[in-house]
Amino acid sequence: MMRVQMRARVFRSAVVCAVLLLAGCASGPGGGIYVPAGERPQAPKPPLTDGAAKPADEPQVWRKSEQPFEQKSQQKAQQQTGVPGYRESGDQMPAAAAGLVKEADTLMAQGNGAAAITRLERAQRIAPRSAAVYFKLSEAYVMTGQLGSAEQFTLKGLSLAGRDERLQRSGWLLLADIRRARGNVAGAQQAESRAASL
Amino acid sequence: MKNTDKARKPGRKKPASRKQLAAAQYRRKGFWRILLRLALLGLVLLAGWMVYLDAQVTSRFEGRRFEVPSRVYARPLELYSGAPVSAAALEQELALAGFHKGDGSRSGSYQRSGGRFLISSRGFDFPDGKEPRRHLALSIAGDQVQNLQVVKGPDSAIVRLEPAQIGGIYPAHQEDRILVQLDKLPELLPPALMAVEDRRFYDHHGIAPLSIARAMLANVRAGGIVQGGSTLTQQLVKNFFLTREQTLLRKGNEALMSILLELHYSKSDILETYLNEVYLGQAGARSIHGFGLASQFYFAEALEDLLPHQLALLVGMVKGPSYYNPRRHPQRATARRNLVLDQMQQAGLLGEADAQRARSLPLGVSDKASFSQNRYPAYIDLVRRHLARDYKEEDLRSEGLRVFTTLNPAMQMAAEKAVTETLPRLGDKALESALVVTAKDSGEVLALVGGRDPRYAGFNRALDASRQIGSLVKPFVYLAALSQPQRYTLITPLQDTRFTLKFENGTVWQPKNYDGLERGEVPLHQALSKSYNLPVVRVGLDIGLAEVKSTLQAFGTDSAISDYPSMLLGAVAMTPVNVAQIYQGLATSGFNTPLRTIREVTDAGGEPLSRYSLQVNQVADPAAVHLLQYAMQETMQEGTGRSAYNTVPRALALAGKTGTTDDGRDAWFAGFSGDLLAVVWVGRDDNGATPLTGATGALPVWSKFMAQVPQHSFTPVVPDGVQYHWVNVQQQALTDEQCENARLMPFITGSEPKQTITCAGALPQKIRGWFEGLFQ
Repeated sequence: MMRVQMRARVFRSAVVCAVLLLAGCASGPGGGIYVPAGERPQAPKPPLTDGAAKPADEPQVWRKSEQPFEQKSQQKAQQQTGVPGYRESGDQMPAAAAGLVKEADTLMAQGNGAAAITRLERAQRIAPRSAAVYFKLSEAYVMTGQLGSAEQFTLKGLSLAGRDERLQRSGWLLLADIRRARGNVAGAQQAESRAASL
Repeated sequence: MKNTDKARKPGRKKPASRKQLAAAQYRRKGFWRILLRLALLGLVLLAGWMVYLDAQVTSRFEGRRFEVPSRVYARPLELYSGAPVSAAALEQELALAGFHKGDGSRSGSYQRSGGRFLISSRGFDFPDGKEPRRHLALSIAGDQVQNLQVVKGPDSAIVRLEPAQIGGIYPAHQEDRILVQLDKLPELLPPALMAVEDRRFYDHHGIAPLSIARAMLANVRAGGIVQGGSTLTQQLVKNFFLTREQTLLRKGNEALMSILLELHYSKSDILETYLNEVYLGQAGARSIHGFGLASQFYFAEALEDLLPHQLALLVGMVKGPSYYNPRRHPQRATARRNLVLDQMQQAGLLGEADAQRARSLPLGVSDKASFSQNRYPAYIDLVRRHLARDYKEEDLRSEGLRVFTTLNPAMQMAAEKAVTETLPRLGDKALESALVVTAKDSGEVLALVGGRDPRYAGFNRALDASRQIGSLVKPFVYLAALSQPQRYTLITPLQDTRFTLKFENGTVWQPKNYDGLERGEVPLHQALSKSYNLPVVRVGLDIGLAEVKSTLQAFGTDSAISDYPSMLLGAVAMTPVNVAQIYQGLATSGFNTPLRTIREVTDAGGEPLSRYSLQVNQVADPAAVHLLQYAMQETMQEGTGRSAYNTVPRALALAGKTGTTDDGRDAWFAGFSGDLLAVVWVGRDDNGATPLTGATGALPVWSKFMAQVPQHSFTPVVPDGVQYHWVNVQQQALTDEQCENARLMPFITGSEPKQTITCAGALPQKIRGWFEGLFQ
């Protein structure tokens, strides 16, 4: 009974994730790349942060959750030489990784959780800072009945969700479902209230 | 013998008496009886000998058929638009995986013009599915793959090249082979081999007396051995026992064993074993057996892809692999190959035009042996230790397992270069080093160097040099403190002043800063970035040694940690790999990620045996780790790690920590970018003193490595429960962004300063009044 309920709940989270993934596919991989000197004539790119990583001609899109104040502050911080950097959200998923996640979805639909995990690990290597990949891994582990791993991957995803409320919410809901299935009712309620507070 | 001698002697004497004649007659009868007995005995002995030979030859035959070393592969290069790889690194990868420069349309070849590549992959059976053959077109710009297109073959946005074989786990007798099956051979190979070595292979029973007679005649005429009459079966037997002596007894044994082998096994079994067994060259201590491996070794190509002139060379080399070694004696080898091509033409295997064309071609041998024995001994060592958890040594040596590792050849090359080019510049010839590189978020070990000579397969310092870690321990002390935000924040002032600890047994400990100075009050973030000793000991004692110890253990150390306060300054011994393990959690917001060198192991047929999956385990509050990461970034920008930016461009944001032990016995650096974590140790094997510090000994190696590799900056995502504020650190107050001494710093929500001050440092009147009321 618990299991059936669990599946249904995880499915709900999966739908949220799928929507997020599609959103993720719309933009390219987050962050530019450092190019070693001597590899090409151009000068290296400037420090990489949320703002700086985007090409200059790409219009800046402000998410509701991102505070323009902080973005500006951060840019000021980055202008000073040598100041620790940070960013407000993890990477979007590049198309190659999204393709692997799609394959994993198909495999999961066929009930092959183990094969889905191998695809998702490939995706994780390509997009190691994308919260959505970890949420997917979590789903695959739910399928194979390894709820401990599932919980850990959800937490890892949450650590990369940053200020993205949709990602945060789907992550907390997934965590609540997994915790409930593991019999951790208090933990589940805590996660649910986190989701509700967003 | 004595009797027969005596029997002959009387014959020479005359005349003989009757008595003597009777005695002689008796003796003659006895002679025949004895002869008969001897013959019978001989037969029994021969039969016994045959049984013995039979056992010998069948056990060798069975053993060799199935004894295959395990193959160890690098991680496959994944190509997709946006994949981080430089053009030079891609070319190196291709070479390592046995691709050769060509038109890019023949399987296993590639063409490069500037940043544009045409690659024709061979396809590969990965444990999770088959990667088909494809023709690919792509370009590399800004160290990233652009416009990947599948020109021919099944379309895909992401493709894997076949992985480079980076080593093997060989049987004790150092023989190597790649098993080939008869039905997967180039059609031309068996008839070509028979045309040259044994025309009547399908007709004889192991030996061919006519051929032997012909060969003997030729040898007598020439006054030496110029021709062999051995059948393939005899050659196979000879290969089993590999002795060079040409005695009659050995020849006899060979002939007997050949007949026995033919009685036991079919012609196709014998032919297949021959093709996998025949000795075709030498690579250092490792001998090259079989056409499958020889094809890799000489042409860097799969046997099934070889062209007639290449097959002819291999067939020709059977006669004398070192005499006809095409790399050492190309002229001899060419002459021999052309002779084989002639014979193939005579046997009707090649048309005249084809044979003529083949004779005109160069040998087509790859420049270097395509894989030398364990190029990366330190890495393979770690792989073996990981395998030893689940597999028996003898199975690894003989079951032909396929081991898919996480080694990244381009990173490994960069790591080796960093060590070999930096160490000589540090002066002391006795200095040694170790370098561990892992993927920050997956824990995959990408590269490993175990000493200043990366090819030397001896003491592996990355795994076995257990040395005190010095200041590398400090982040864990501060993490334990920052996990209590009501007590510690990055701007908490700490006392950088001397003090004395007296233990119960009367001993006294008085820690000092590296420079011997005292600075009064310093904020926590600076105490870490400048690696001051006095504040960290105070903090450690305040939160408790047990707390620090349990933090270290949670992050994955298996070292014994002492209960003395000196452990707060790093009196804890760890290996470089262990340091990489505990720093993994610092680099990834508090997720312990077990280090892995193996993704998957399959049996010889590709059936999966074990998978080693990514695992993560949250061991610390991501918010506290984020604060610590701030201070570790500051280390690189204003602290003890800043000299990294003499080598690495400022564009690459990094975080890290130096470590030095007393008298410079150990110089450490552990740090990370957005993608990679690297740990370097430099010191002497005899634990002697050096003039080095973490910053002058280990950091140059680390920076040299980081500067070579395309990667993303370290810009951590702000986790839940952390907010950035502009603060005046000295006043421990919020301040305005425009103020000169304003610093943007992260705080765990609720632990940020409550008061606000102006740029001039004045507290607004009202607030100050409130605070004074509270604290006075």
